[in-house]
Amino acid sequence: MMRTSLAMRSLTITLALACGLSGMARAGVDEALSRHVLPGFGAFAESSAALAASAKEDCRAEALKPAYHAAYDAWMGVSHLHLGPLEQGGRALAIAFWPDTRGMVGRTVAGLVADADPVVDSAEDFADVSVAGRGLMALERLLYEPHLAGYGKGDYQCRLARAISVDLARMAREMDEEWPDFAGLLRSAGAPGNDVFLKPEEASQALYTALMSGLEFNRDQRLGRVMGSFERPRPNRAEARRSERSLRNVVLSLEALRDMARALADGPMEDSEAAFAQALERAEALDDPVLAGVATPQGRLKVEVLAQEIRRIEEAVAQEIGVALGVTAGFNSQDGD
Amino acid sequence: MDRRSFLSSMLFSAAMPRLGWADAGNPAYLAAAREADGAYALYGLGEDGAEIFRIPLPERGHAATAHPSAPEAVGFARRPGRFALVIDCVAGRETHRLHSPEGRHFYGHGAFVEDGAVLVTPENDIETGRGWLGLWARDEGYARIGEIPSGGVGPHDILRLDGDVLVVANGGIRTHPDRGREKLNLETMRPNLSYLTLRGGIEEQVELEPELHLASIRHLAQAEGVVGFAMQWQGDLPDNAPLLGLHRRGEAPVLCAADMAEQFAMEGYAGSVAMSGGQVAITSPRGGRVHVFGMDGQFRASLKRADVCGVAPAANGGLLVTDGMGGVLRIRGEAMRPAQSYDRAWDNHLIRVG
Repeated sequence: MMRTSLAMRSLTITLALACGLSGMARAGVDEALSRHVLPGFGAFAESSAALAASAKEDCRAEALKPAYHAAYDAWMGVSHLHLGPLEQGGRALAIAFWPDTRGMVGRTVAGLVADADPVVDSAEDFADVSVAGRGLMALERLLYEPHLAGYGKGDYQCRLARAISVDLARMAREMDEEWPDFAGLLRSAGAPGNDVFLKPEEASQALYTALMSGLEFNRDQRLGRVMGSFERPRPNRAEARRSERSLRNVVLSLEALRDMARALADGPMEDSEAAFAQALERAEALDDPVLAGVATPQGRLKVEVLAQEIRRIEEAVAQEIGVALGVTAGFNSQDGD
Repeated sequence: MDRRSFLSSMLFSAAMPRLGWADAGNPAYLAAAREADGAYALYGLGEDGAEIFRIPLPERGHAATAHPSAPEAVGFARRPGRFALVIDCVAGRETHRLHSPEGRHFYGHGAFVEDGAVLVTPENDIETGRGWLGLWARDEGYARIGEIPSGGVGPHDILRLDGDVLVVANGGIRTHPDRGREKLNLETMRPNLSYLTLRGGIEEQVELEPELHLASIRHLAQAEGVVGFAMQWQGDLPDNAPLLGLHRRGEAPVLCAADMAEQFAMEGYAGSVAMSGGQVAITSPRGGRVHVFGMDGQFRASLKRADVCGVAPAANGGLLVTDGMGGVLRIRGEAMRPAQSYDRAWDNHLIRVG
């Protein structure tokens, strides 16, 4: 009798756990969409529209800088969401062409300016310009490169800055409009007729992958590229260093990723919280906007410690969120053969 | 030969009718997978991706090779694996186990020639880094009967073409099992595509331009007299280096790439290639997309699917793909539609039977 009731109880617990897991997976997806993804794209659309409005009013560098920073800040809130709308039509690169391993942004912008290319006078035509000549990184050149930034209202650079801003606002608006439908596909993962997400876990997997890839991008690219090797640190590779956003981007991105992790976890995540707090504290204490400190061994060590702390976030998130959602990093994408 | 094995061989050759793939349920595809409980198995799938048979594997597989007529598959362990299993797909059991010779390891691929009498396995000579093709006689219980040079370093995929010509993807990357998959010669690597026969040796070799020497040629497909080769970029990322080439014997290869943003999104990595119905497709599990090109090398479509890797021709002229989340999807023209969804992770390759 006693044994039966114990067995029954453990069966009940097992069932409750199983139900809890899939319920949690779905709750996490819902929360992440409604609390993080949709508001994030809304904010990016709004600040990009403000950038375009600012450029229409006055496209000179000094006038545009505040709106440029606001739009870039908002981009950091969603830049890790590499699924659905951001995956379409090369948008991710057209918004922020970085890392730029072959110096294409500088060359493309210089080419447009040298030719005074009239493509800037048509929004439709400008949307077909190389992704290296569009978006935040191209705009940064115009606003911060000394030989480009001194332009006046009648100069070509002014029209180019306006075209870039309008194009950015268009892409942000389109994504904001497309996301609700794509969110519907994520929410109905596994339902009949859903050809994109074939099982409920695929929605959690997609958001979890975006979270983990975002963390890895901060560690491996935003910090890793600057760190280079011990013998050869590469401060000139820092992201958006002309507008002194390199460290700011890491901080804002980590904050956005923490926001997403909290929504996806749908419950306490103590180790992840501690790891995020530690990394953010370290990043803010660096007080080195363009990560120039990597040029010295001590400075490089500080950035390396921050990178290690981001790795700790990845480990904690894998344990606390990945395991709970029943998802792991890609089986084939991690294999590589 | 002892009495029992003599008897069983008598039984097999005389009393038993010769079995064909129909006896194994006519699978159209073979694919290895990791199952929900962490175990590994080789599956036979129908045209529509439906499961036909399941045979447990002792370890994670990479690719399999189907015998041209007998219902027999050879499943290869992942690189740097040292064993391959010969599997009777009717009885659902292992009949032979091949071990790479001392100082060698397999690359996860193989091909049959001579009407299925000889199995050919790309191998690494660990000390010298030279690529070899091991030869195994099926009628002698898969005894090792010889070997010939592969024509390069790191021979990976191998295909049989008409006339028993073999085409080998010499990936160019030197590795040593003691150092896992660490790449030991990136600065000097020189991948090639080699055409050869068992008797005549190398007939033709194709190397890309020196600035593409970091494009490791790994996987192969063929149709309409053209060999498609999928590559993996070993340089800094992002890079828009081509990941697909099309080659016709005696001509220069045609390199195929999408627009820059799409090319970057492949993350320098093509995992598999297949050709069918005037289309050629490469998969990128890292980029979560399939790129479809025409046989003229023109880019046609980017189809998104997370962790997608296996791809093989379908009977209707389309393609079938598999992914690490258990999905089986059909590509027809420039559209992709789900066919099946399983609770298992499909491994790198989907192999067409027959």
